Amino acid sequence: MILLQLVSDGLQLGAVYALFSSGLTLIWGMMNVMNFAHGQFVMLAMYVAFFCFTLLKVGPAFFVPLAAVGLFGFGVVVYLLLVRHVMRGPMLAQIISTFGLALVLQYSALWAFSANFVSLPTTLVGGVYDLGGVRLSAARLLAGATAIALTAGMHLLLTRTDLGSRMLAVSEDRVAAALVGIRPDPMQALAWGLGAAATGVAGGLIALFFYVSPDVGNSFTLLAFVTVCLGGFGSVPGALLAGLVIGVVESFSAYWLGPATKDVVVYGLFVALLWVRPQGMFGRA
Amino acid sequence: MLLEAEGIVKAFGSFRAVDQASLVVAENELIGLIGPNGAGKSTFFNCLAGDTRPTSGTIRFRGQEITRLSPDRHARLGLARTFQVPIVFAGMTVRENVMVGALLRHPHRRRAAAEADELLHFTGLAERAEMPVTALGTSGRKRVEIARALATEPRLLLLDEALAGLTSSEVEAAIELVERIHARGVTLIVVEHIMEVIHRLTERVLVFHQGRVIAEGTPAEVTADPTVIAAYLGRRRRRAR
Amino acid sequence: MIPLRRAWPVAVLVILAIAPFLTANPFYQRVAALVVLAAISASAWNVIGGYAGQISFGHSIYFGIGAYASLLLFGRFGLPPIAGAPLGIVASFVVSLIIGPPTFRLRGHYFSMGTFAIAALAEILVVNWKFAGGAIGLMGPAMPRSLADLLFRNSLPYYAIFLAVLALLLALTHLMQRSRMGFYLRAIGAGERAAESLGVPVQRYKLYALLISGAFTALAGSLYAVMIGFVDPESGFGILISVNMVVIAALGGVGTLFGPLAGAIILVPLQETTNALLGGSGTGAAYVAYGLIIMLIARFSPGGLAELWPLINRNGRRRAA
Ligand SMILES: Nc1ncnc2c1ncn2[C@@H]1O[C@H](COP(=O)(O)OP(=O)(O)OP(=O)(O)O)[C@@H](O)[C@H]1O
Ligand SMILES: [Mg+2]
Repeated sequence: MILLQLVSDGLQLGAVYALFSSGLTLIWGMMNVMNFAHGQFVMLAMYVAFFCFTLLKVGPAFFVPLAAVGLFGFGVVVYLLLVRHVMRGPMLAQIISTFGLALVLQYSALWAFSANFVSLPTTLVGGVYDLGGVRLSAARLLAGATAIALTAGMHLLLTRTDLGSRMLAVSEDRVAAALVGIRPDPMQALAWGLGAAATGVAGGLIALFFYVSPDVGNSFTLLAFVTVCLGGFGSVPGALLAGLVIGVVESFSAYWLGPATKDVVVYGLFVALLWVRPQGMFGRA
Repeated sequence: MLLEAEGIVKAFGSFRAVDQASLVVAENELIGLIGPNGAGKSTFFNCLAGDTRPTSGTIRFRGQEITRLSPDRHARLGLARTFQVPIVFAGMTVRENVMVGALLRHPHRRRAAAEADELLHFTGLAERAEMPVTALGTSGRKRVEIARALATEPRLLLLDEALAGLTSSEVEAAIELVERIHARGVTLIVVEHIMEVIHRLTERVLVFHQGRVIAEGTPAEVTADPTVIAAYLGRRRRRAR
Repeated sequence: MIPLRRAWPVAVLVILAIAPFLTANPFYQRVAALVVLAAISASAWNVIGGYAGQISFGHSIYFGIGAYASLLLFGRFGLPPIAGAPLGIVASFVVSLIIGPPTFRLRGHYFSMGTFAIAALAEILVVNWKFAGGAIGLMGPAMPRSLADLLFRNSLPYYAIFLAVLALLLALTHLMQRSRMGFYLRAIGAGERAAESLGVPVQRYKLYALLISGAFTALAGSLYAVMIGFVDPESGFGILISVNMVVIAALGGVGTLFGPLAGAIILVPLQETTNALLGGSGTGAAYVAYGLIIMLIARFSPGGLAELWPLINRNGRRRAA
């Protein structure tokens, strides 16, 4: 029974990881830029959720979409003001630029909101269902289900729609895409917007059951890296699968080895993974 | 025999980019490798140079098995290559680029610089020795790659489309350069699309198609071969669609 | 022109050697020592990150090893902290041999992500390492027991020691730059595949570079611990330690001899002043400013100051972007 419980906890959490990681994988797949500030995007969305609740007294039905829209705009702005200019420069500039962004976001949050841990009341989405002994918290269930639905939606958007195929065309070959009349810039801005929006939703959902603090983003950045790597760089279905796997690994290691070591297990997994398969577990050779 | 490649297969997933290709090269030959786009010529080169491991098959160079050796070991043994899309060392001058090759046999900087200068002269780059290599155009970069490869003092040099993308006067100069390299006693295998170049340079040609060697012989023989004509025509027909 | 070109590095060193003695202000003297210390670690990073083009975000591991080696030897065995320097260097070799070969198979962003993750892992492990003080960290001697403790009220002795180490490192780097190794590292950074095809044993040279780079970074960590007398997981192994090295080298120009020093001369005083003005690291404002500076560098001067240098010095060869 405890096994089932751990698996179900892991899957619900993993679905949320999958959602924000699919945002990162989208950006990476589109333009080979790694966003070292990705976890800070999650953190921003969590604060959106927190302040929406405390100041406006509204629930997730309001703040999750708001976080999505807000982060969409933020992603586009980051692309237009920063990423677009460093993208074709030296790799070093690409990497440090998003590191700089991460610092600005994290410490602005510290400056503005103080280092205190805050959290939403656990009763916001209350209730626990008992499914033959496996306890499912409503908040996590909501988060998990929404995350899976949106990750799947993102995959469909990329593979089944005209917009998606234009975006993929740009990611395959900017020049060729430009030749057939697809302007790469708006497509890449859109990818940043969508990637950030997915992250926004994920952040809003995580806030339902996870504390918020300015430095909460750091571990999310690494988590997203692990997920993207495990899922095969650039693959949304891969990220979904990988997110679920990592959620389960985390919940098991937290149970058996204690919560303090769960990060060790996950990062250790990442390092081991990069070692054996640099192209990612489910990625193509 | 200088080089013996036997039954080389390179598979990417279920797709065989090179499929049972074999090639025997004697000292001092100048061999041509032709075939339509995507035939597997570059992949075959990469196998010979150790840049990618063949899925199966064996390669021997001067009697020694080299199939699984790393590219730098290949260079050390005397097998050099150029890339279809030149990879120059940005941030270095033309001379420094060539020195990287020369340092293999001449660990001292001064000696390597002298060797590099000799090769820059040989390849007609002497005037541009001090320029940043990125200031050069395609033809200049291809020459840098050749000079750099020669600086490793190879016995066998693989040239992957060293003449592609050049203007007709540059092509003339490049043909002449290849002839001079051959005259130095370097054995050559050249991938080339322009048939006229192949006719002028080589005595023996291999034709690749869909990863296989479909014909081998003198340039005149292979161009008259119906399977070769069909392979090239087939490609045209596909293109026309 | 040749004598001038040869002369200016000497001039730089002479100016550096006397500069802090011209002021009696302890704040400036301290900043001067920190500048040189930062220049050591950034120059050490530059060997692998600049010349060989392998952008490591894991160098905090080496810095932390050096710092912890010093204060562990003091705290547990009562040895003077500087005795930890050789220990830290030996430990750095071991770490390089362990993490080098697997991470070197990663290229570009993947290498950065991999080293970033390893450093994060190391920080967590140290936080949970009770023997090394866990999350609290370690202290150095409060009072000097002998001269060997290298405990001075004034920053000038530290400045002199650091400068000697920096001079040694830069001299080594200069020799390396002119040798086969320097050419090979730059070739690896510019095009690994081509370097390999020319007979460069890429993995071996990357490892050499990492061994040198890690050893000097560990030494910088030991020197830091000797001067500051305190280290905790964040100030030893924190990701910002790595970021700092990368950014300082990037600001001055990676893959150049004096780039990291130039970067440190500009950035460290800027950091210390913003820290002083914006109320220390506690409020975060200084880090916000720092992050903005990083983004501005990446956006407007991706090649660092070294890129501007040829504009000033016509004799200089322009590095291609
Ligand atoms: N790393 C790879 N992964 C998957 N497929 C590959 C890879 N490298 C090459 N291929 C495929 O193998 C086939 C042969 O490619 P190759 O570059 O060897 O052809 P080529 O004869 O050199 O063509 P060209 O004349 O255009 O240079 C092509 O269909 C190519 O798409
Ligand atoms: Mg080819």
